[in-house]
Amino acid sequence: MENVLEVKGLTKQYTKVLAADNISFEIGKGEIFALIGPNGAGKTTTIRMISTLLTPTAGDAVVGGHSIISEPEKVRECITYLPDEAGAYKNMKGIKYLQFMAGLFCSDLEEIKKCIDRAKEICQLGDRLNDKIGSYSRGMIRKLLLARAVMTKPQLAILDEPTSGLDVINALEIRKTIKRLSHEEGMSFLLSSHNMLEIEFLSDRVGIITKGHLMVTGAADELKQRYNAANLEEVFERVVKQNEVH
Amino acid sequence: MKFINLLKKELSELVNLQMGIGLIATVAIFMILGGVMKTTINDAVDSSKKVTINICDRDNTDFTDGIMDAMESVNNDPDSNISAKVNIIECEGNDYAAILADNDISSLVIIPEGFTAALDNKEQPELISVSRMTSAATMSNIDSGSDSAIELIEQCISSTIAAETGMDEEQYKLMKKPVILTENTVVDNKDARISPDNILSKIMMQNMLLPIIVFVLIMLTSQMLMTAISNEKIDKTLETLLSAPISRLSVIGAKMLAAAVVALLNAAVYMFAFSVFVSGATDEVTETVSSAAGTSITVDQAMEQLGLNLGFTDYLLIGVQLFCTIMICLSVSIILGALIDDAKNVQNMLMPIMMCAMVPYIISMLADINSLPMVFRVIVYAIPFTHTFTAVPNLMFGNNMLFLGGLIYQIIVFLICIFFALRLFMSDKLLTVSLNIGQKSKYKKKNRKRGIQSDDEA
Repeated sequence: MENVLEVKGLTKQYTKVLAADNISFEIGKGEIFALIGPNGAGKTTTIRMISTLLTPTAGDAVVGGHSIISEPEKVRECITYLPDEAGAYKNMKGIKYLQFMAGLFCSDLEEIKKCIDRAKEICQLGDRLNDKIGSYSRGMIRKLLLARAVMTKPQLAILDEPTSGLDVINALEIRKTIKRLSHEEGMSFLLSSHNMLEIEFLSDRVGIITKGHLMVTGAADELKQRYNAANLEEVFERVVKQNEVH
Repeated sequence: MKFINLLKKELSELVNLQMGIGLIATVAIFMILGGVMKTTINDAVDSSKKVTINICDRDNTDFTDGIMDAMESVNNDPDSNISAKVNIIECEGNDYAAILADNDISSLVIIPEGFTAALDNKEQPELISVSRMTSAATMSNIDSGSDSAIELIEQCISSTIAAETGMDEEQYKLMKKPVILTENTVVDNKDARISPDNILSKIMMQNMLLPIIVFVLIMLTSQMLMTAISNEKIDKTLETLLSAPISRLSVIGAKMLAAAVVALLNAAVYMFAFSVFVSGATDEVTETVSSAAGTSITVDQAMEQLGLNLGFTDYLLIGVQLFCTIMICLSVSIILGALIDDAKNVQNMLMPIMMCAMVPYIISMLADINSLPMVFRVIVYAIPFTHTFTAVPNLMFGNNMLFLGGLIYQIIVFLICIFFALRLFMSDKLLTVSLNIGQKSKYKKKNRKRGIQSDDEA
């Protein structure tokens, strides 16, 4: 399978904390890869480095053939990033927000229009897109942001906690959209989540990260078998405890 | 194209209905204030022209009768500069409040019993003046009736004494005004036949506008950019923006330009509003000051003669310095805004900028900075905004080196600030460092209890 993302020994050392230590993994075309780990494990730092928001202390990541170190602007053309608990401009109407974001990715008016039409279809917000974002519910904002993240058909969409804080129905709709885009359109996803059920449902492969180390990667079923666990939560618990012993 | 898209978004965030209403309200308030001031000043000027003298003669001697006659004759004297209406009041006792109330007057001069006797004994006689105070407002208490009465009484006494000593009218006039003062003002190597007080009043009126505009500009640009950056951080829209295929320089450039444009728009509206207010409040006074001085040239002509009027180059230089000031504000605001990730802290972070604007603003209004002791002068001049407040007087009085020195200093400060601002904005610190006064420690403690090490802590 052709790789959209190749992470090679990515390391981030803050003044006192080693937030990510020699992290390596890859994501194939149309694959959904999930990074799971406890709070402060280094998931967000890893994601931010791949999104070119943070500069790695060591290592590199190649997105769509472009290095995050030497060609960050090219990388940003291949990816979209949806941060955890991200908001949108409250005084802007939903449709204006989509127009603004599409304008940052595309220069051609025709392309911008296509992106907006696609976002409208994905978010399913209908006439509410003409209302100010400040009047949206959390679920509506998340749908709008997800639509924004995938409307430009990026090679890799990076979603940090895509369903955090959402009710069951909204979370389910977002998961279905991600799965559909991956399977039908071949879009690759890098997710991070605490929700093991979500990860098991969504991801093709997972990577368990703790204290800055990527402990293990593999398909959910494969990991359950390897750790003799009934579900991904048990796998996660055993991997984290194993790391604490070491 | 992408930059224009960003700029449009930044402008739409800053220019909203709230701001429009605020600006319209500002203009309306200042127009009303200007109108009120104009009416109050006109009333004061009118009342100074139509003096009502309320006088009570308790001495009732031939001499005091003469004073009363002299006062009444003032009405019919075309040479007198006082147009007075004299009311003779009959009153007794010391309950002055009751006397004023009973006669429905606000001031009264009483010639007490024994007034003439004291004069006859070559003693200074007592004269009683009573004035009603209705408010703390300067303009509301202006009633020149008593002053005019006292002046007239003093004239009567002086002329009587002069007549007794055998002095003729010419000698008396010479004694009253022994010299004719011709005032000259020199600026640099130019001079004009005018009182420095008149020049000073005119300069003060002209210059009262600029420091206010500078202060508003400094505060507005800083607050707008700091809020724009911190809001993006708080809502995590900054991460989304920075992960888009657009350079960080474009992101910050669009924010700076939008903040500068909106601040200048605000400054223009404030300038218009203030000019409406000032013209309402000072037009009448300017005229009065120049005519009262009795000079052969107007204040404007004297200013021209003394080289105190600013030319095109001067205004251009003031514009350049104002631009430098805005750029310093913007670069400092990038640094402070990038360090905030809590909306409540915007006001706290604005404090250092506010103090740097407030100190030179107040000092430049109250004193000449160049006349301060050396230590204070160095401290005040070290504040870059000081040079903006002193720009007009420096150019006016030909202190070109001081002006240019200030401008160069501001450019250096701007280059240093923008260097650190861009370095911060281009670095990881933009997303990992926060300076939330009084909150970080709480946040750390909370996380330490949970055993969590966050990226922010790192």
